[in-house]
Amino acid sequence: MESPGTKPGSGDDQARFRTVVLPHLADAYTLARWLTGNRSDAEDVVQEACLRAFRSIRGFGGVNARAWLLTIVRNAAYSWLGKNRPAALVMVDDLDAVEQQHAHGAIERDAVPQTPEAALIAKADAAQLEKAIAELPVPFRETLVLREVAGLDYREIAEATKVPIGTVMSRLARARQRLIAKLGTSER
Amino acid sequence: MTSPSERDDASLLVHAYLDGELDPAHALEVERRLASDPTLAAERDRIAALRDAIGALPREMPSPDLVRRIEAMTAATPPAATHAATRLATHPSWHASWRALAASMLVAAFLGSGATWLALRPGAVETTADLVLANHLRALMAPQPFDVASSDRHTVKPWFNGRVPEAPRVVDLAGEGFPLVGGRVDVIGRVPVPTLVYKRRQHLISLSALPPQAAAALAAGPHTIAGFNTLSWTDGGVTYWAVSDVAADDLAAFEKAFREAKS
Repeated sequence: MESPGTKPGSGDDQARFRTVVLPHLADAYTLARWLTGNRSDAEDVVQEACLRAFRSIRGFGGVNARAWLLTIVRNAAYSWLGKNRPAALVMVDDLDAVEQQHAHGAIERDAVPQTPEAALIAKADAAQLEKAIAELPVPFRETLVLREVAGLDYREIAEATKVPIGTVMSRLARARQRLIAKLGTSER
Repeated sequence: MTSPSERDDASLLVHAYLDGELDPAHALEVERRLASDPTLAAERDRIAALRDAIGALPREMPSPDLVRRIEAMTAATPPAATHAATRLATHPSWHASWRALAASMLVAAFLGSGATWLALRPGAVETTADLVLANHLRALMAPQPFDVASSDRHTVKPWFNGRVPEAPRVVDLAGEGFPLVGGRVDVIGRVPVPTLVYKRRQHLISLSALPPQAAAALAAGPHTIAGFNTLSWTDGGVTYWAVSDVAADDLAAFEKAFREAKS
């Protein structure tokens, strides 16, 4: 596939990398930060992801650079978690079992003990909210972050996380409900 | 957009509604249910409040050091040094790139100046699409993608007076899902050009209005450059160039909304 004279790392690849990847570096970092939980691990993941992106820059189909890069970051983060924090990923299987029971995306309304006022949620301080997000299981967290922070739409999230759109919808809804329940019940 | 099997779950639809994922017919249906169901309306308010709270979280930016390391990684292999390029590509280690760091710092410094980096593309003939995209990218990397921040067209339009020969047509497209966020002046072919910035979800759309006297003011078909879509059209003697990383369909919808909006 590679012809001589157009080796990876040629000027064209660099230019393409700069145009495709660099504008979305902040989003890449934010996603990695949320998935790994701290700055230095996030930087490792982003570096690794950028290396992967640079190497496959020619395979980029030219449709949505942000979603493409975030998918690579997400995969790099999963490799990293698998190597360094396998416990964080174990619960994915359990989660699948739970999701099977809710095959049609039904939401456990009963799981929300109280229904806090919207005003209470709006007043939640940043540290409290960040802690609540950090405590979400990884699949919920990544769905939430891809949607709320990176601004991907459901279809893009489905492609990035390799699950059907229905699963994206139920994960997103349940991630939000967990946060709402947590912010509504914790008194400050 | 939403699969029919989810239709029975009103709550999921509310999430999808707030996320802008519903087609107009479903959105209308949800709005009707919200109007008649206070429990559902309260849930909508909670979700909306949560979304606002998440949106207001301070965003940590990647450290300049990380950005430098990444730029060094790619810049460390200049086109001529194919030998080094091969080594980087076959070597999983990041450290392979450190050797050429000194040389790359020069390039990084040049890139850091921001003004002309697209011109680095060897032998590239700059089309209007390239220039428009370069302006958009520069805006994305700047702390602010606009020079005047306002969702009020009556603020944005007068701001252009005295900065460009003719203030552009500014319309409010929030109702169509493209809220106005601001404006800036770009330079295309040495001509200052008014550029409006709209938003589609979290994505930005730059819309440059090229006056007829701009040499580059020729509309061209839709393009995709490095993952960004551009679209141009001419209306009332002004050539509009829209560029964004939203899907081509969304950009086409934006053109339609802009053309049809009452100014």
